[in-house]
Amino acid sequence: MPIESGEAIARIAKALKHKPGALLPILQEIQEQLGHIPSEAVPIVASELNLTRAEVHGVVSFYHDFRSEPPGRHVIRICQAESCQAMGSAVLTAFAKTHLGIDFHETTADAAFSLEPVYCLGNCACSPAMAVGKEVYGRMTPQRFQEVLQEVAGKSE
Amino acid sequence: MDVQRLVKMANDIASFFEAEPDTSKGARGAADHLKNFWDPRMRRQLLSYLDEQGGAGLKSIVLEALRQHRLEIAGQQPPDR
Amino acid sequence: MHAIDDIDYGTPRKVSDTMVTLQVDGSAVTVPAGSSILYAAQAAGRRIPKLCATDSLEAFGSCRLCLVEIQGRRGYPASCTTPVEEGMRVRTQTPRLADLRRGIMELYISDHPLDCLTCPANGHCELQDMAGAVGLREVRYGYDGANHLEVPKDESNPYFTFDPSKCIVCSRCVRACAEVQGTFALTIDGRGFASKVSPGQRESFMDSECVSCGACVQACPTATLMENSVYQMGQPDRAVVTTCAYCGVGCSFKAEVKGDQVVRMVPNKDGHANHGHSCVKGRFAFGYTTHPDRILKPMLRKSIDEPWKEVSWNDAIGYVAGEFKRIQAGHGSDSIGAITSSRCTNEETFLVQKLVRAAFGNNNVDTCARVCHSPTGYGLKTTLGTSAGTQAFDSVEKAGVIVVIGASPTDGHPVFASRMKRRLREGAKLIVVDPRAIDLVRTPPGIEAACHLQLQPGTNVALINSLAHVVVTEGLANEAFALERCEPADYQKWKAFVSQQTYAPEQVEQVTGVPAAQIRQAARLYATGGNAAIYYGLGVTEHSQGSTMVIGMANLAMVTGNLGREGVGVNPLRGQNNVQGACDMGSFPHELSGYRHISDAGVRGLFEKEWNVTLNPEPGLRIPNMFDAALDGSFKAIYIQGEDFAQSDPNTQHVESALRAMECVVVQDLFLNETAKFAHVFLPGSTFLEKDGTFTNAERRIQRVRKVMPPMAGLADWEITMAIANAMGYSMHYDHPSEIMDEIARLTPTLRGVSFEKLDRLGSIQWPCNDNAPEGTPTMHVGQFVRGKGKFTMTEYVATEERTSRKYPLILTTGRILSQYNVGAQTRRTGNVAWHQEDVLEIHAHDAEQRGIADDAKVSVASRAGNVVLTARISDRIQPGVVYTTFHHPVSGTNVITTDNSDWATNCPEYKVTAVEVSPVARHSEWQRQHRDFTARQQALLKERETIEA
Ligand code: SF4
Ligand code: SF4
Ligand code: SF4
Ligand code: FES
Ligand code: FES
Repeated sequence: MPIESGEAIARIAKALKHKPGALLPILQEIQEQLGHIPSEAVPIVASELNLTRAEVHGVVSFYHDFRSEPPGRHVIRICQAESCQAMGSAVLTAFAKTHLGIDFHETTADAAFSLEPVYCLGNCACSPAMAVGKEVYGRMTPQRFQEVLQEVAGKSE
Repeated sequence: MDVQRLVKMANDIASFFEAEPDTSKGARGAADHLKNFWDPRMRRQLLSYLDEQGGAGLKSIVLEALRQHRLEIAGQQPPDR
Repeated sequence: MHAIDDIDYGTPRKVSDTMVTLQVDGSAVTVPAGSSILYAAQAAGRRIPKLCATDSLEAFGSCRLCLVEIQGRRGYPASCTTPVEEGMRVRTQTPRLADLRRGIMELYISDHPLDCLTCPANGHCELQDMAGAVGLREVRYGYDGANHLEVPKDESNPYFTFDPSKCIVCSRCVRACAEVQGTFALTIDGRGFASKVSPGQRESFMDSECVSCGACVQACPTATLMENSVYQMGQPDRAVVTTCAYCGVGCSFKAEVKGDQVVRMVPNKDGHANHGHSCVKGRFAFGYTTHPDRILKPMLRKSIDEPWKEVSWNDAIGYVAGEFKRIQAGHGSDSIGAITSSRCTNEETFLVQKLVRAAFGNNNVDTCARVCHSPTGYGLKTTLGTSAGTQAFDSVEKAGVIVVIGASPTDGHPVFASRMKRRLREGAKLIVVDPRAIDLVRTPPGIEAACHLQLQPGTNVALINSLAHVVVTEGLANEAFALERCEPADYQKWKAFVSQQTYAPEQVEQVTGVPAAQIRQAARLYATGGNAAIYYGLGVTEHSQGSTMVIGMANLAMVTGNLGREGVGVNPLRGQNNVQGACDMGSFPHELSGYRHISDAGVRGLFEKEWNVTLNPEPGLRIPNMFDAALDGSFKAIYIQGEDFAQSDPNTQHVESALRAMECVVVQDLFLNETAKFAHVFLPGSTFLEKDGTFTNAERRIQRVRKVMPPMAGLADWEITMAIANAMGYSMHYDHPSEIMDEIARLTPTLRGVSFEKLDRLGSIQWPCNDNAPEGTPTMHVGQFVRGKGKFTMTEYVATEERTSRKYPLILTTGRILSQYNVGAQTRRTGNVAWHQEDVLEIHAHDAEQRGIADDAKVSVASRAGNVVLTARISDRIQPGVVYTTFHHPVSGTNVITTDNSDWATNCPEYKVTAVEVSPVARHSEWQRQHRDFTARQQALLKERETIEA
């Protein structure tokens, strides 16, 4: 972990530690700024809040929103909520997993894609839905999924 | 025993009883302490140091204790066995 | 896993004035309100299956195995989380419940290895028991789904193994680490199927924050967390209740035994001092008891340069008696003496002092408390009337303000520290007075001292007077208490004394280095924060003004009315397991058992009649006096019961020349310790596992020590002392230590009501125990002080003569750490060395930089008395100008540099203040090299010993 990140983490922890229930906001802010919560952040946050490392680690690992590894360049989130489920998001999810060779909360070896579940993207009219980064896509099929992937991969080149 | 160690120990005791504004009470306290906690051979050695060398280096409260409560400090001889 | 003979009630016992009666499977049972149904059922003899509940932890309600049916309620509530109600009708066994439970067990077992037959928990596993209880016969899910069977074991801890493949994620371990130990080293990583137990951040136990207390191992229902000794030896077959022989907390244990071998030590849930908890020492570090270094035959030699010669017990005892008599005939009856041990039992220390007074005919007996808590005796006796702490440990649960002075409970008294931490988490305020930032100053989760008065070593008395000054001058005194309970004239005099401007915080700041505002804040908090309790350790006593400081703390407690009820008091945290007891037994040269002065003819009369001798009415020599007298030739022989002052006493070189000057040094110990290297006779002692007796802990609690194996060398320590007395012509005869306790009780008013029979019945007794208090006295000084009226005593601050100078600009202070015990003779011979391989010198970065010292560098530490070489560790726990080390390893020779300054009243050495200089070096000091050569030579003389057949 670069020294700057260490300093950033300490800064964030110091700034937010007086909030009630400071741990979650601090972790969120770290993830926001660094993209993930490196394991080196845990002792810094723990010591600032006078918690044990185990306690902080427990919280980081409990919430799927927190990631301990840096995410891929593109985070794909596939909706698992009712409407999308009814329209076949399970098939889409299974396809995505095999296609990318990863499970939820994992990142491909080339660090290009991470896969996450999400519960409703507010796009129920066009179920099943998914998002890549901030971009939302509707009426997804395995076919469309491959196309979208190619599209975003192309963009980032 | 090394008499200088006894002198130091006696003076350490004196430092505590110096807090007492009434010096004769302080001397009484120091004398009692010597009598209650010191082996007689140490007490007698301190007394002979007083007699033979004038008790050089002893704090005044110790000197007063030794002079005023001499008999008690000298103690009883151990019973013959 | 809990002890083999424990009944697990599932949820903790509740205390309540209201009792509730309910029906469990048709039988009525009455339990305190707030109890769970699970608890009530067990009380009624009905065992409800359960996995996530155990009675050392609050209910959690995660496994759902304990579900029951309650008449008039829908569904199947978990009995562990459902409190009892009056008139409730509960059914614990119905066909529907059986189905549900079987279904749950099926899920657990589908992800569990089926190697019960070769599992270390086999025969004592809750998962196995539950599978049996619910009648599990098949697992419909098969065993082929995703599982955790391949996860590797964590064998990093020397005493227990973590085998995650067997984990059922009940989180009992996580909760034990939090609720019982208060370390919070474990967590559940992830959630759902992926969840698993994680020490620290998914690391090994040794790398995590774990302190190896063993609470998680005890809580685990499966073999996931299991003692290595059970892996090696299998399940024990019986349990013997006994008391830990390490520290003054006095944890009660069940020694679980197979044949006469201890398999494991499990803390006793019914233990009154520890309530089922323990620390790494008592729980795991008992391997020294069977260590090959133990010497099991008596040995003799004429001079310390000769090889040892093994002899029979008869020859050894005959030789000792002969030498003692010869020396007395030649040099007078006062020329010999003895030392009692704070590690031996009360009965054994009592016998040694009896040997001295009755058979030697003098009072030259002392005990290792001389070098630790003798000032406690003097100070508390002077002010309150008796030489003991005022409270039970449980009292801390009622404290609003906790003051810790010169002690590090998490290191020295870990089990009590866990209680203290729990109280602090509940919101009690903490004041720490210590030159070093002990763990408690800031320790997760959430414990933070309200004030840390980080004073210069050696200025305690100035500080305590200043706290009193603030109380008195700001009108915070509890005048009513002080005037009614204490001598009024002394009170007025004392008030005037502490009100002097010299003790105003603004003045005292100059001396102590503690900002005046902090002193005022602490004094106000202590006086106004509700019940305030003082706990202190050797950082108070081991000073030239040790006794004065103890008096000062008692004064402060009296002036604020913080004495005589629960939640308050002045409490020494005693170092060794039986320091309190050794003192109670009359081990000091000036007093008989129960703290009665030897000059009191009435008291002497009692003993003279019982012992059939005339006693010498004059006090004898103290340990340091014995050394001085040895050097001037008037003290020639000594009998040392389990004490190692060549390592533990200050100014080692002085002690060594004194030992060399004596004609007959008799050491009774387990190992060839440092002192034994100067001995002429070695008598092999026995460990606490090899004898019956009692220990008395820091809260005056007398507890039984029970024999689990015969003495390895043939005799228990009390039998050796008895044999010496008889050989010297003074007849002693006891068939069992209980007879010694009976004699102690006959002769000692504060112990009159104590007997082994009563101890077996009550579990433990806190003295005084007599007709006024037949079951003992948890809190002292209720209503009236032991001495009648409390005595305020003036405590002038006198700076120690040990001052810094240009040559010795730093102050060295000493302490200890969790995993090692005192001089380490025992713990160094156990797996505990995994935590502390050497004594290090903590030094502040500023001082280190000035001297060109890097972290981990070898440095010389030189004082006016000598010098040694240690490894430096840069630390911000201490301030610039102060350095700190521990004294667990002989080769460090820490006491080579401590001086022979001592407490004015008791000669307790001033370990805590030594002026030193620290400089980088390449090799060991001259003393350390000599010590190494001498040790090698002595080991050779031991190896070359002439042996005899057993
Ligand atoms: S041994 Fe004690 S400190 Fe270590 S994890 Fe277990 S309960 Fe926590
Ligand atoms: S290690 Fe033991 S106590 Fe901890 S969760 Fe697993 S089975 Fe339960
Ligand atoms: S060393 Fe002390 S705290 Fe640890 S188990 Fe023994 S008595 Fe208890
Ligand atoms: S349910 Fe999938 S977007 Fe709303
Ligand atoms: S024992 Fe009650 S839910 Fe586990």
